Amino acid sequence: MAEFLQYVITGLAVGMVYALIALGFALVWKSSSVANLALGQLVLISSWFTYGMLVQASLPYWLGLPLTILFALLLGWIIERFALRPLVAQPILSLITVTLGVAYFLEGVVSFIWPMSVAALPRIFPVEPVHIGPAVVSQEYIWAAVISLALFGLLSLFFRYHRMGVAMRATADDQLAVQACAIPVTSVFSTSWMFACVVAAIGGVLISCIGGITFGLVETGLKSFSVVILGGLNSFVGCIVAGPIIGLCENLGGGYLTPLIGPGIKDIIPFIIIIIVMFIKPYGLFGETRIERI
Amino acid sequence: MLKLNNIEVVYLNVVKVLHGISMGVEDCSVVALLGANGAGKTTTLKAISGLLRTEEGEVTDGSIEWDGERIDRKTAVEIGKLGIVQALEGRRVFGHLNTEENLLVGAYNRRDHYAVSEDMSMAYNYFPRLKQLRRNIAGYLSGGEQQMLVIGRAMMAAPRLMMLDEPSLGLAPMMVEEIYDIIKRFNTEKETSVLLVEQNVRVALNIAHYGYVMENGRVVLDGTADFLRNNEDVKEFYMGLSAVGAKKSYRSVKHYKRRKRWL
Ligand SMILES: Nc1ncnc2c1ncn2[C@@H]1O[C@H](COP(=O)(O)OP(=O)(O)O)[C@@H](O)[C@H]1O
Ligand SMILES: [Mg+2]
Repeated sequence: MAEFLQYVITGLAVGMVYALIALGFALVWKSSSVANLALGQLVLISSWFTYGMLVQASLPYWLGLPLTILFALLLGWIIERFALRPLVAQPILSLITVTLGVAYFLEGVVSFIWPMSVAALPRIFPVEPVHIGPAVVSQEYIWAAVISLALFGLLSLFFRYHRMGVAMRATADDQLAVQACAIPVTSVFSTSWMFACVVAAIGGVLISCIGGITFGLVETGLKSFSVVILGGLNSFVGCIVAGPIIGLCENLGGGYLTPLIGPGIKDIIPFIIIIIVMFIKPYGLFGETRIERI
Repeated sequence: MLKLNNIEVVYLNVVKVLHGISMGVEDCSVVALLGANGAGKTTTLKAISGLLRTEEGEVTDGSIEWDGERIDRKTAVEIGKLGIVQALEGRRVFGHLNTEENLLVGAYNRRDHYAVSEDMSMAYNYFPRLKQLRRNIAGYLSGGEQQMLVIGRAMMAAPRLMMLDEPSLGLAPMMVEEIYDIIKRFNTEKETSVLLVEQNVRVALNIAHYGYVMENGRVVLDGTADFLRNNEDVKEFYMGLSAVGAKKSYRSVKHYKRRKRWL
């Protein structure tokens, strides 16, 4: 029972971080219909950057963590400005290919600057574990869930009430009409990339706090793809529902099936779920279908 | 205040669709731009609003002036900030946003929050129906309501020139009348100029002061609304009336067209 509860809690917590990272995909997809294939690498490089700030440069948290955010914002801006904007109005496939190029570029940068393949972040959160019923969970999980949820809430408010947030949703609906309202779509796109990088960075740091910095962070990005596909490519609600589902299945399946089937099953489970969902609901659980009126 | 001097527009560097258009819009006036499908009306509006660029079109010759300043090299955002707004053809609301959010997007570039909320009440005042629908998702509004929303969104930019592309398209006659009344009211009460693209010549000339008739990328006829209303060719081609006021059959119109062309 304690074991089960533990799997559930940690699964849900990690799932919420997946959901947060998945937002980095949904944001870009919604506003510009570009599939951000660099998600995993964004997670990876921001985690290493945090390592660089906190460990290698031994900066205090209050300085190092905001610098990570700043780095992510800058990275997002640069990617949009120099990799994607020159290709505006080109076929969407070229744009997606460019994000793949960005992914490999970032991976190269990471192995150049941080050739060691694993590292651990210092313990940012309090060390003593929390007792939830019979389960004992380390605080990293709890904080990961809380921070992800809080960011989710903030972003929802932003999209609901902020001028730019509403403009971003409008852009997702009709790019030309947005331009007819004299809204600079380029700043909409660059904002979406900046946000995408920030959520990837924060998600990356949260995951690294739990499992250390490894190349597996790229895989975390891949799992976030399964979150968006399960939730529906352009649905924020879909992300927050699908993330914990994936996290839960992964943890429970991993926990109970590994002794039976062998290691590795944990990483396959999300993809099995996707395939099943795609059969039943091709738009994902909450995918926006186009509104058609006749 | 708006002047087009002999502009030419080329799409994709090869397709020339406007062959020297000259026209003007005075302060506080309503100008109708008439013509059949494919004449180049929408292209003319996009040339003015700067939206041409995103369609890979370009003004290759001539100039567009706004208060004496050339704007044909400016971006859509810059032109929008000068007070020119274009409502696109085909009721392009933001389908997943609600009515009020759609209106707010129209006011994106305005920093005067107080005036924006005033204008929101103004838009609801012009379109009381939209007020009832303020929390409704725009994608599910009826055609007429969507057209109202698109015009209301353009109003929210507090423009000096509002360009409307075929606002009557696909709407019931009653609805067309209602919308045109509101456009006229907006024009007189807010002293906003309106450049109106229409195929529905009769309703357009009802509220317009002046009109231009386009064909194949050229202006073939222009004059006051009265002049155009009484012009035999306009009656013939665009209102489906012959000289004696009877409906003409499509076949004889075609025949007439073969005999006499404007250019
Ligand atoms: N983006 C585009 N690229 C190439 N040709 C275009 C484009 N948009 C319009 N055209 C062409 O320009 C001509 C005029 O179109 P348009 O301005 O839409 O006419 P109207 O609005 O009067 O029906 C048409 O022949 C059309 O095929
Ligand atoms: Mg048109």
